Amino acid sequence: MEDELINIKTTALSFIWEAEDKKSLEETKLQFLGRSGKLTLAMKELPKLPIERRTEVGRLANEIKITIENALEQKQLDLTSEKTSKIKQSIDVTAPGIEPKIGHMHPISQVLHETIEIFKSLGFQVADGPEIETDHYNFEVLNIPKDHPSRDTQQTLFLDTTDTLYSPGEMLLRTQTSNMQGRIMEKTKPPFRVLVPGKVFRYEEVDASHGFEFWQVEGFMVDKNLSMSNLFATLDYFFKQFFGRDTKVKFVCHNFPFVEPGAEAYISCVVCKGKARLPDGQGCSFCKRTGWVEILGAGMIHPNVLRAVGINPDIWSGFAFGTGLSRMATLKFGMDDLRLLTNPDLRILEQF
Amino acid sequence: MLAPLSLIKDYVKITLSEANLAERLTEVGLGVENIKKKEGGSILDLEVTPNRPDWLSIVGVAREIASLENEKLKLPKVKELKKPTKILPLKIKTDYAINPRFTGIIITGVKVGESPDWLKKRLDQIGMRSINNIVDITNFVMYELGNPLHAFDYDKIEGHEMTVGQSLEGELFESVDGISYHLPKGAVVIRDSRKIIDLCGIKGGKNSGTYNDTKTVFIRVPVELPNLIRSTSTKLGLRSDASSIFEKAVDAGVTIFTLKRCVDLILEIAGGEIASDLYDLKAKEFLPWSVKVNLEKIKRYLGFTILDKDVIDILQRLNLQPVIKGGVLETKIPTYRNDLKIDEDIIEEVARLYGYNKIERKLPSGEIPVSRIDYFKDYSLQLKAKEILIAAGFSEIKSYSLVSEVDLDKFGLVGKNVLRVDNPVSREFEYLRPGLKIGLIKGLMENKKFRNDISLFELGKVYRKIDRKAVEEYFLSGISSNLSFAQIKGVLQKLFREFGIKKDPSSMIEIIDNGLFFEINFSEIEEKANTQKIYKSIPKYPPVIEDLSIKVSERVKTEDIIETIKNQNSIIYSVTLIDEFEDSKTFHIIYQDKEKNLTKEEVAVIHEKIVKSLKEKFGATQN
Repeated sequence: MEDELINIKTTALSFIWEAEDKKSLEETKLQFLGRSGKLTLAMKELPKLPIERRTEVGRLANEIKITIENALEQKQLDLTSEKTSKIKQSIDVTAPGIEPKIGHMHPISQVLHETIEIFKSLGFQVADGPEIETDHYNFEVLNIPKDHPSRDTQQTLFLDTTDTLYSPGEMLLRTQTSNMQGRIMEKTKPPFRVLVPGKVFRYEEVDASHGFEFWQVEGFMVDKNLSMSNLFATLDYFFKQFFGRDTKVKFVCHNFPFVEPGAEAYISCVVCKGKARLPDGQGCSFCKRTGWVEILGAGMIHPNVLRAVGINPDIWSGFAFGTGLSRMATLKFGMDDLRLLTNPDLRILEQF
Repeated sequence: MLAPLSLIKDYVKITLSEANLAERLTEVGLGVENIKKKEGGSILDLEVTPNRPDWLSIVGVAREIASLENEKLKLPKVKELKKPTKILPLKIKTDYAINPRFTGIIITGVKVGESPDWLKKRLDQIGMRSINNIVDITNFVMYELGNPLHAFDYDKIEGHEMTVGQSLEGELFESVDGISYHLPKGAVVIRDSRKIIDLCGIKGGKNSGTYNDTKTVFIRVPVELPNLIRSTSTKLGLRSDASSIFEKAVDAGVTIFTLKRCVDLILEIAGGEIASDLYDLKAKEFLPWSVKVNLEKIKRYLGFTILDKDVIDILQRLNLQPVIKGGVLETKIPTYRNDLKIDEDIIEEVARLYGYNKIERKLPSGEIPVSRIDYFKDYSLQLKAKEILIAAGFSEIKSYSLVSEVDLDKFGLVGKNVLRVDNPVSREFEYLRPGLKIGLIKGLMENKKFRNDISLFELGKVYRKIDRKAVEEYFLSGISSNLSFAQIKGVLQKLFREFGIKKDPSSMIEIIDNGLFFEINFSEIEEKANTQKIYKSIPKYPPVIEDLSIKVSERVKTEDIIETIKNQNSIIYSVTLIDEFEDSKTFHIIYQDKEKNLTKEEVAVIHEKIVKSLKEKFGATQN
């Protein structure tokens, strides 16, 4: 009996030793430890032994079983790591990775959603409104009556009103997202903080920095005791979040009919980092060697606008700002031509 | 506006360096766009906002610099008008409702000729052409002081009478530069006894201009009404240096000073003598006006406590004669500052001279308003849709909303519901797109030149005329040259599921020449979207999974087979098609009982039921 057991052990261990893969190892396991395996069968014979020998042979059988199990387990591990290292040897790890085929978000969308996120963190709610607009909301309510010289800077595209409820000249394509100031303010009770992104249209010749269609974002806030200090801080916060913490922001006086006082914001040039010179010593052409780029118009909402929408300017004050999302995108990504934004060439789109 | 520094220095002392001056001017609102270096010195290229027509003159610019530098402005010295020795007749009739002030004088015995070099040089520096000494002087004085003026040839004023009135529709007028205009109704004009001789505030008439044979001139310095000038100049598409000042409101208080300056220069350069009394027809005296502002409001608007003495100092520099009485600041506005009318205007004056960038920046401190604004939109839905498409391999494009008739025609989109622009920038951009197909197909074709795997999408507005109203809606469309129908359908299924919408996208996908195209009304999706997700506990018992292969006619719709399988028992948790080839299909079926472990026997019964029903319904046989 003992001889038979030792024989089983030797054979099993040599089989395990020689096993080349998991399958043959599994077979070996069945052959010896399976339900009708050699060791299992031998162990079934134990009760037939005389009582005085049963304990001793039983202990031996158990030891052999443990030895075989351990050997199987060890071989199992060896086979696994051998396989891994074999696979590793067959892979050229220096070959480039295969990237998943995912698409690309348009730069305007990236800028749009990022801008929304930043202003949301300041408590702004986002709105959307019509691009086909009336003279009233696009101009009149914003303190820009007909024959106001500032209309020159916003040449307007008018829609053919045939088969519509409107008379000629009444339907136009909004020239600015500021059209939403009147629409929202006349219906929403202050205080409020609003952000309105969207497309605008101008009658304008197309070149690298002008288009007849582009994207803007408008923001306005009405509350008690709002100040220029609040306006400047809000924009300063936004630009630092958007363009990076090192961005410098400065304001100059400017005139827009729907704000008073009015301002324009400049940020330190994104290309030369405000140094006006490039690392090679050349002057920076992006900012015309000034170190600054103009980016946004803003101001305290004109009391005429507040009155026109039924808000008492003696109780409430507000600020408003507007900028080109298109311009923000070109600045953020260092693009030198607005027309790149409407170009569907994937060689451009895949860069973002 | 071009302002040579050398010339400005005649009117104010400048201590700032060129660069600092440019920066300070820009900061106070007079934007220096560029400094041009020319022989004779630097020239500032200034951006003048419509509220500050006074900056359209060299004295106006010098005055701004004087307030920055805290220096005195040096106005040109003018002589008192001499009593005329003889008086030439001239009858003037005006209407104050359309011409609030009409100042003028006759000078006779002038010798029209070339301008002296200094004058020619100055005009050249600011980009003006020299014509003759009289015209050059009027142009220079306008540029110097900011009030436009015009010289008439007195002898060509028939009947020696001038009447200010308004034009009739279509009246003919030939301007001094020889161009004929059909005037719109209501243009302000001057007529002599027979004809129109001046299109007021815009252009003088050819029939009464100053030429080499002119002996006697009448100089007119008017105040015109901004809206009348602008309306005529817009209708005619005719702008001039004069009209761009008048349409923004001229300084009504200095017509006599301007006239005196002009007379001095004419007498000096062209000779002659005054031959009339001073004409000064006006509705009223044009005097400084008062604007009051609460000091507390200035501080509240700025957002910090500016010292009263700083406010006073700033306003004094601007010649606004500030006086404080019991917390209220009173100012006297000079006639060249027509833009200062309300207290907010004064606050801007204080802020801009104080320096916007010296104001400490403090974020608004109040509570964040939470009630929903009107026109609210949740942009996260758009972002989610974009992200799904991008994950599926689509890249986003942005195309123009304006398209051409040719394109509409080519893509079968012409129709009565398309909106048209009356004054398009070109025929290429005449219509508002009723769908997103044009931009996407163009995008596909553009990229075909370089590659074959193209998947593009756009999420943007489309515009249609519905019930005589303009309707704008967001559409989500895509195009692909490499994805299969099933792949695109899958993307849309996924999209709908993420938005909690039950919809079959099959009919939204269209087979086109170079691939597949889909279009979804995204505004409808946004309206119905339910993106809330609620956790459902996972099954406690293991599922039984099996793959069922059948042979069935290819005409049988997969969707019908799946439905039939699912209908056999409620424990069939999901059925998916995992393989298909010709007439054989393999379905992956998951059986899941929520209450207990499934036995082989139970599943076998359902399995048989499935096989039987597929055979009966579709003649399917098991593989």
